[in-house]
Amino acid sequence: MAETRQLGLLTYLALATRNLSRNRRRTTITLLTMIFGIATLTLLSALNDGWLNQMKTNFILSYTGHLQIHAKGFEASQNLHDRITEPEEISRLMQSYPEIIGWTQRIRTSGLASAGGGSAGIQIMATDPEQETWVTSMNQDVKEGGWLRPGMTRDLLLGRTVARNLGAALGDRIILMAQRLNGEMTSEVFHLQGILETGAPQIDRTLALITLNNAQHWLQMDQTVTDIVIRADTHDNTDVLFRLFTQQLSGLKYEIMPWQELDPMVRQWLEFSDAYGLVILFVVIILVLAEILNTMLISLHERQKELGVIVAIGTKRRQIFLMLLLEAVMLIFLGAILGYLAGSLLVYSLADSGIDLTRFANAFEFFYMDPVIHPQLTRNSAMKILGATLAAALLAGIYPAWKATRLPLSQALRIQ
Amino acid sequence: MLDQTPTSIIKARDLHKCYWVGTMPFPALHGINLDIEPGEFTVLAGRSGSGKSTLLNLIGALESADSGSIEVLGENILAMNQDQRTRFRLQNIGFVFQAYNLIRVFSARENVAYVCQLQGKGKKESMEIANHWLGEVEIGHLGYRRPDQLSGGQQQRVAVARALASEPKIILADEPTANLDSMTGRHLIHLMQDLNRRLGTTFLISSHDPDVKQAAGRLIKLADGQIVDAWDSIPKPPISLASACPVGNLPLTERLRNYFREMRNKVRNKKRHGNTRRHS
Repeated sequence: MAETRQLGLLTYLALATRNLSRNRRRTTITLLTMIFGIATLTLLSALNDGWLNQMKTNFILSYTGHLQIHAKGFEASQNLHDRITEPEEISRLMQSYPEIIGWTQRIRTSGLASAGGGSAGIQIMATDPEQETWVTSMNQDVKEGGWLRPGMTRDLLLGRTVARNLGAALGDRIILMAQRLNGEMTSEVFHLQGILETGAPQIDRTLALITLNNAQHWLQMDQTVTDIVIRADTHDNTDVLFRLFTQQLSGLKYEIMPWQELDPMVRQWLEFSDAYGLVILFVVIILVLAEILNTMLISLHERQKELGVIVAIGTKRRQIFLMLLLEAVMLIFLGAILGYLAGSLLVYSLADSGIDLTRFANAFEFFYMDPVIHPQLTRNSAMKILGATLAAALLAGIYPAWKATRLPLSQALRIQ
Repeated sequence: MLDQTPTSIIKARDLHKCYWVGTMPFPALHGINLDIEPGEFTVLAGRSGSGKSTLLNLIGALESADSGSIEVLGENILAMNQDQRTRFRLQNIGFVFQAYNLIRVFSARENVAYVCQLQGKGKKESMEIANHWLGEVEIGHLGYRRPDQLSGGQQQRVAVARALASEPKIILADEPTANLDSMTGRHLIHLMQDLNRRLGTTFLISSHDPDVKQAAGRLIKLADGQIVDAWDSIPKPPISLASACPVGNLPLTERLRNYFREMRNKVRNKKRHGNTRRHS
């Protein structure tokens, strides 16, 4: 007995296309529903990616950079003894990586600020004023006065809230108190050169910024520092640089921390946003799946007799399965591509102007967000949407296709 | 192995089949014994519910019997699994159904070519075969049309061409003329008879159409799931299309209808000629 073979793909495609076009109104309605769903999903996803990216950028540029290198244990101890003793060696390493667009050395320690009759706990941060401008945007956050002048100046910048708590104004003498490397308490007089407003409450509430040279002299740190802060050319290259530095500096006494590890709250918020994006993706895909499943089941019900005949004349049940599966996949894929295109057009039309949410600006500041959200299409989201749609297509197609293979032949043929 | 005459192409022994609706049994076949020889043109006759279609379905491996045995072309089809039955049907049996049952989204040619493609033939070869068989059933010029663009008789011819395209040994036709008017039905039967004679394909047809019964080489009558009568007809020439409908043989109602149609045409012609004269 001769073996039957698989039908050619073109025959399957022809059957699927023509079956989809046999009830044009139903197919069109299903497609429109899908296009609307996927376009909405694309826009929501782009908004999510847009504000997440803004949030990352604002967070990284406001203070932390993409990566920080510390002496091992410094982030936990915040003790000046855990310091980088040969920062120049690490700085030289930076020059070999084109992914790095800037780096700076810093000293960080906690202390006390006093002015007039008030005092407040502060985070003292000393940096190179020129190098810092390559890494963060703190110089642009100076709302009153000016940025730090390089050299051995007594310039001091305070966060807006610290300055208000101290009752300090520009030009005032501020006394900072901190512990030297040898453990002695020491105090120094600085002049309030400017007031910073980063928009991040925890920074504005505690930051006292002075020059690195001054701090090294004042705290008797010589040429040592506590942080080396790096800015990468793109957010995605953070991981690349993290791996490179981990390899290069492994075995040495350093800890390399990407920005996500430096502020657990921001990391949690980003993870939550990712999860929220996935929930939206899941809900939309479930709705699309239900729509397609409904369409396919109605179509199957209408074609029971024809499917019975096709089996009777020699089509194998697995060929029937493939035919119906292909119909669902074609329908969903067409809807997904058109929906994604429609969504992309929407995103591009909003990309420049953005969506203005200035009314809620106060709430957004806390999360390093800008009041105008610019939607952004990312490859990752596109893959997620199209991947989830394909998975939905298979799921929506498998059940009706399987059901079709279970049709009792004699009953199907008797349908009038 | 069943005791079979060497020439039998279909051999059924003690076939029983019962359908169940809930707990209610509906017996369809009661101990059917049947032998069909190659090249026969056999008609299963009987009233609705007599078991004709069930017997065809069992022989066509479309459903299973409760007990008994069926050998078709020497193969015990009741022992086959679903895939084996599908393959067996594709290679050996052609089906013609009462309601034509063509694939709506395919053209007539594609409907016929489809079975060839299922057999593994290439698209071009399948289309050529389809053209040949559509020519055989005298609708070669309508191959591009879809089923909804064909008359009932034309659709049934496509179904016959589809049944023949896989070059089966047996064609099972379930009430093939039931949805056709009597003239078209006679044409179809004539065509099937002709194919039977020329190709030697075995035809097993269920019908209660008197014209089909008249054309049978062998007539088997079923009642209540049993064979109650069977006889070989006297050999006779196939129904001639020229003589299939001599006016004298038409039933009274059709003769009256024709008479009134002629009268109406005469009146219309008369009116038309009268109007033409007035205008001139």
